[in-house]
Amino acid sequence: MSRTSEDGTLSLVSESCMDFLLPEILNMMYRTNHAEDIENDAIYYKLESLGFTVGQSLAEKFTQDRPRFVDTLDVVKFVCKDLWTVAFKKQVDNLKTNRRGVYVLQDNNFRWFMRMSLDADPAEATKRAAPYLWFPCGLIRGALANLGVSSVVMAETSNIPQCTFQIRIAQR
Amino acid sequence: MASSFYFAIVGTNDHPLYETEITPSSRPSSAVDSLKRDEHRHLNQFIVHSALDIVEEVQWNTQNLYLKVVDKFNEYLISVYLSVGNVKFMLLHDSKSEDSIKGFFVDVHELYLKTLMNPFYTPNTAITSAQFDQRVKLAAKRFL
Repeated sequence: MSRTSEDGTLSLVSESCMDFLLPEILNMMYRTNHAEDIENDAIYYKLESLGFTVGQSLAEKFTQDRPRFVDTLDVVKFVCKDLWTVAFKKQVDNLKTNRRGVYVLQDNNFRWFMRMSLDADPAEATKRAAPYLWFPCGLIRGALANLGVSSVVMAETSNIPQCTFQIRIAQR
Repeated sequence: MASSFYFAIVGTNDHPLYETEITPSSRPSSAVDSLKRDEHRHLNQFIVHSALDIVEEVQWNTQNLYLKVVDKFNEYLISVYLSVGNVKFMLLHDSKSEDSIKGFFVDVHELYLKTLMNPFYTPNTAITSAQFDQRVKLAAKRFL
C-alpha cells in the first residue's frame, strides 16, 4: 500500500500493520456491537457496507489510466486480476461462469487465511473464519457497482486457506 | 484567445458534484466583451446538461477516456472526459487546444481520486472542499 504525496515521494504503510489491522476490524465489530453469536446480521451488514465503500473508491482509483470496459466479463476479469493484486497481492486462481450472470471466483491461498492456525476440528475453524470473508464480499460488490455492474456477492470456505466467492449479476 | 470557461463534474445519477467558472488571468477586456460573457453565463448549466445526452450516446462507440469535443452551442464547445466509473468531467470553452484541455482533465481526475480516497466522502455526493476548489483553479491556470 502506498500513496504519492505532493512532491512525488512515496509514503509506505507497513504490511504487517495492515495484516493485523484487518482481522482486528472484525473483533472490533463484535466488541462494539455486543454480539455474542458469530452469525450476526448487523455485523454482516456493517462489514459488507464498509467493504462496499472501499471497493467503490478502489475501483475508481486503480482504473485511472486504462480504457473503459467493454462488457461485464471484462469488469469481472478486472476484479479478479487487478483488484485482487492490489488488495491481496495475488490474482484469483480460478474463475468460472455459467454464462448466465453467475461467476465463481476461487482463491486457493487467501491472504487473510494464510496466518490462521487450525484447531483439531476443521469444521469449527471454517465456521469461525467465515465472517472474515464478509468485508471482501463488500469489496467486490462495491468495485463492481462503481464500474456499472450491480450484483450480489456471497462467500464460503470449505477448507482454509481456500475460499470461493460467488457473484450473481442482477438481471435487467 | 481564451475567455472564460465553465467546468463541471457530473456524477453517475446526472447530478453535478462540482461546478466552477474559470476566468483567465486578468486582461483588459472591453465593456462589450464582458457584457456578452455575462449574458450567457446562466445558460452554462443548461448547455452542459443537454450535452449529457450526447455523451451517453458517444461513450459506447469508443474505449477512450477523453471524448474530446462532443457538442457545440453557438460559439461554445463542450469537451468531456469520462472516468471508468462513469463520472463525467465536462468543460465548456470556446478555444480549441485539445492537448492542454486533456492535461487539465487528467490533473482534475487525479484530484477527484484523492477526494474519493477520503473516508468522509461518499461517492456521488457534492464536493465541497475548499482545497479541491483551489487546486482545480490552479490546474486551470496552468493548462488553460
